[in-house]
Amino acid sequence: MTSLRKILLVSFSTVSLISAAEAENHLMPAMDIPLMQETALAAGIDHRYTGPWEYFVGGGVAVFDCNSDRLPDLVIAGGTSPTQLYINQSDTAGDLKFEVQASAIANSVSTGVTGLYPIDIDNDGMKDLVLLRVGENILLKGGPDCSFSKANKAFSFDGGRAWSTAFAATFEPDQSFATLAIGNYVDRSAAGSPWGTCHDNLLLRPGAGAKPNYAEPQMLAPGFCALSMLFTDWNRSGEPALRITNDRQYYRDGEEQLWRVSAGRPAKAYRKADGWKTVRIWGMGIAEADLDADGLPEYALTSMGDTKLQTLDEDADDTSPVYRDIAVEKGATAHRPYTGEDLKPSTGWHAEFDDINNDGRQDLFIAKGNVESMSDFAAFDPDNMLLAGYDGNFTEVGDVSGIALSRRGRGGAVVDLNMDGMLDLIVVNRDAPASLFRNLGAKSDHAPHPMGNWVQIELRQRGANRDAVGATINVKSGNETRVRKVQVGGGHASGHMGFVHVGTGVAERAEIRVKWPDGEWSAPYRVFANNFVVIEKGVDDAQYWYPPSNGK
Amino acid sequence: MLSWFSKIRTALMVFACTATPMSLTYADPDRIDPWSERAITEHLDQSSFTGVLSKEELQKLIDFGETLFAARFTSQDGAGRPMATQAIIPTKRKRLAPNTFQRTAGLDGNSCASCHNDPIMGGAGDFTTNVFVSEGFNNADFDTTDPQFSNERNSNHLFGSGLVELLAREMSADLQAIRKQALAAARSTGDEHRLRLETKGIRFGWITAQPDGLLELREIDGVDTDLVIRPFSQKGVMTSLRQFTVNALNHHHGMQPVERFGARWTGQTDFDEDGHGNEISVGDVSALVAWQATLAPPGAKTPQDERWRAAAEQGSNVFDSIGCGQCHVRALPLDSLVFDDPGKFDAAGTMRFAELEHPGAYDLGLMEWASELSKNAQGQVMVPLFGDLKRHKMTDRQIAAFGNELLSQRFVERAVFQTTELWGIASTAPYGHRGDMTTLDEVIKAHGGAGRKSRDAYIDLAAQDRSALIAFLKTLVIEE
Repeated sequence: MTSLRKILLVSFSTVSLISAAEAENHLMPAMDIPLMQETALAAGIDHRYTGPWEYFVGGGVAVFDCNSDRLPDLVIAGGTSPTQLYINQSDTAGDLKFEVQASAIANSVSTGVTGLYPIDIDNDGMKDLVLLRVGENILLKGGPDCSFSKANKAFSFDGGRAWSTAFAATFEPDQSFATLAIGNYVDRSAAGSPWGTCHDNLLLRPGAGAKPNYAEPQMLAPGFCALSMLFTDWNRSGEPALRITNDRQYYRDGEEQLWRVSAGRPAKAYRKADGWKTVRIWGMGIAEADLDADGLPEYALTSMGDTKLQTLDEDADDTSPVYRDIAVEKGATAHRPYTGEDLKPSTGWHAEFDDINNDGRQDLFIAKGNVESMSDFAAFDPDNMLLAGYDGNFTEVGDVSGIALSRRGRGGAVVDLNMDGMLDLIVVNRDAPASLFRNLGAKSDHAPHPMGNWVQIELRQRGANRDAVGATINVKSGNETRVRKVQVGGGHASGHMGFVHVGTGVAERAEIRVKWPDGEWSAPYRVFANNFVVIEKGVDDAQYWYPPSNGK
Repeated sequence: MLSWFSKIRTALMVFACTATPMSLTYADPDRIDPWSERAITEHLDQSSFTGVLSKEELQKLIDFGETLFAARFTSQDGAGRPMATQAIIPTKRKRLAPNTFQRTAGLDGNSCASCHNDPIMGGAGDFTTNVFVSEGFNNADFDTTDPQFSNERNSNHLFGSGLVELLAREMSADLQAIRKQALAAARSTGDEHRLRLETKGIRFGWITAQPDGLLELREIDGVDTDLVIRPFSQKGVMTSLRQFTVNALNHHHGMQPVERFGARWTGQTDFDEDGHGNEISVGDVSALVAWQATLAPPGAKTPQDERWRAAAEQGSNVFDSIGCGQCHVRALPLDSLVFDDPGKFDAAGTMRFAELEHPGAYDLGLMEWASELSKNAQGQVMVPLFGDLKRHKMTDRQIAAFGNELLSQRFVERAVFQTTELWGIASTAPYGHRGDMTTLDEVIKAHGGAGRKSRDAYIDLAAQDRSALIAFLKTLVIEE
């Protein structure tokens, strides 16, 4: 809907009545609204996340390339149903197609899974997979052609018996292997469970040796029923801290948490004395974006009711993480369904920032859905697509875009699955089919048409941390700098690795600079928009990558 | 600032024209008086011309485009950009522009024809029409000709530009097909695959594809790494007449086309905050493109003076013998004369082919001048542009007159320029990208770098041969 049409509809209303649909439409912004086509079954994805109470939470998806073709493949948690791998066989810029590979995840570990995150733990160039489970967590070592083998023993990893629901990873200085953090939910065996019996969380640093060794974890106590966690360089120090969002439904005197994770020292939680303010929410998911490109990230925290959008307050300094909420002023509270008759509060889960309409501004996707049958909260609770406007405020377009389904959303991923530069969407739903939306382009009066320009960037480096987890990517066009981080964690039980997508709006070229995890800044790489760019540390020239021209 | 009601009324009037074929709509018909100080009293509706236009439809479009090209835009039309810079990406100023007009940072022209007028409208301009090209991001208000803030450029002529863009489009398609071929071969064989990038006899280096779909870009020569030939501007950095037009309308006139500066991308209908929203419609830009694209290509006149004829004939041979034609290629073959507008190589911010339900197309074969173009044995039109649409480094350690710029432009290094098409050169003095060389002899001698060998050969020629070459070049005129 163009602004012109918006204006016209307003003006017509002065002389004639307009329909409800028109009334809704004329509130639409002038920016491109992606038309999302639900295509899961046609694409070969028939998947449900199922199970009793333990699976009211979780429902994740890991998105990564497991067969070295750079097309993102999917592993979707099934709860009590099997976790399944779907190989991406989509036509480039065409229909989404996946082929289930039923035997990829061994039967012994494929059930009980709540969430999954891909990461190359052992630097062999193949993504490993962390399975969060109700019971023993599993590290699956990735092999060629999407083969996975259990590596708990090889990596001296005790998967425990907790109910795990959150994960994050980073590479600390001078460490050869990844540092992992695992967030746990309710300790069901504790007296008085489930209330006030949150499990502690774990920080697993690699021990010395030629292979990953996680034999000596640190307990992060107290735990407050974590549902998402993320290593984040909140103060531009180069040293990521661990942010954890927690579910107030079950904790006593708990709060949101931020842990200082300094190299070689035990992690330590920030306290009130540090400026950390007590925030108590039904924390379900974390999304990070540096919306104003000041190097200091903003965070969306999903919850029941209001989504929080936090930015560092002016009272903060390098050692004082003082945050204030800007969700109301930015129009990002997403506190109740935006369509339908149900006016009860929403329940938010997976959150992810990315530029869904390629206009150069990061939008916010939130998966929504009632926990199960909580009568005080909306039963029909469609997922949100909040498009950021030129003024930085968000506008809801979920219904216009076509994602407002009556399903209980949980995890998800916003990712380009058919390599056309436009972000598609997968949503894992509780006790309902997983949704797979193909982004067809901007909605229009005729066929959907291309949106803004984009680049997608893959970072590589030799040795440890081959995927440059922790790197910052600055994409500059004109006076605008768009910032992205390579991170593992956050969202709700879901993570993806691969190309980092950046919409560049009307800019047809961009200058990319990378701050590598070791703090070294790259020289600028000059690239043309609408390309996939591969940048290797220490190499002067970027390379372009092209997807197969005729699909697979 | 326009009132909300005024904006609605303007929008309604634009909307009202959509059902009428080839319709023009008055910007504000109630208020247009014969003595109006507006230059634009009508806006063109893009949806009123679709498909390949008939000769009559095309002529109407061309006529409207000519009106716009000649229009001296006024503040009542929306000329001026008090809160926007000249940048190609919509960029707000931090404070009001100190002057509406300024020869350096702009506005620097009243109409398109203010600069493109020699020898006739659509032509080039002399030194007084130079523009100062800066990115418009930092130091947007520069008020100095110091080259550290801008590159000073002479105005190019636009004759034959439709053919130039068509050539560029076909060449881009060829290069991208080679890329596709290399990638497919590497993927199917499992080995890297290196192919020469060559189209229409012009070589753009090599490309090497890896089996995993990665592409080595290092050996690409004279074209951007996305393999899009950008044939316009001295540097060859503009993809299309459409992109050039959108850029120039904002830069030189503060007339902001909706397709880049409108609400879709900026959230505002009046991005430059001059009180006029939606200043240039998509259809208006199309009309300007149609007018430029259909300008007759320059020709080669046959001098009446017998001595000149003989000298020119000799000079034509000299042109070839000293290698001028290696870059100033006499003619390039063109497969099709159908000019889609929008084209298929523009990026977002310039209207794209796929954005319109029924894009228009202009068959340049309908133009009278088209019948005079020669064809080769394959039936291709031979476009006599005397160019290769390729960029070359034009300086070396000894000969560096063309290296007088300090700023690279859109990733193109400071001493690298696209080969100037020589058609029309006799009608478009002065010469050089800064327009600071008064004779052809001077500009030939200024060729360093890739042109050095031919330049040296020219200097080594006998005086009579040098003179003959000039005599030949002086036949390459824009017909008046």
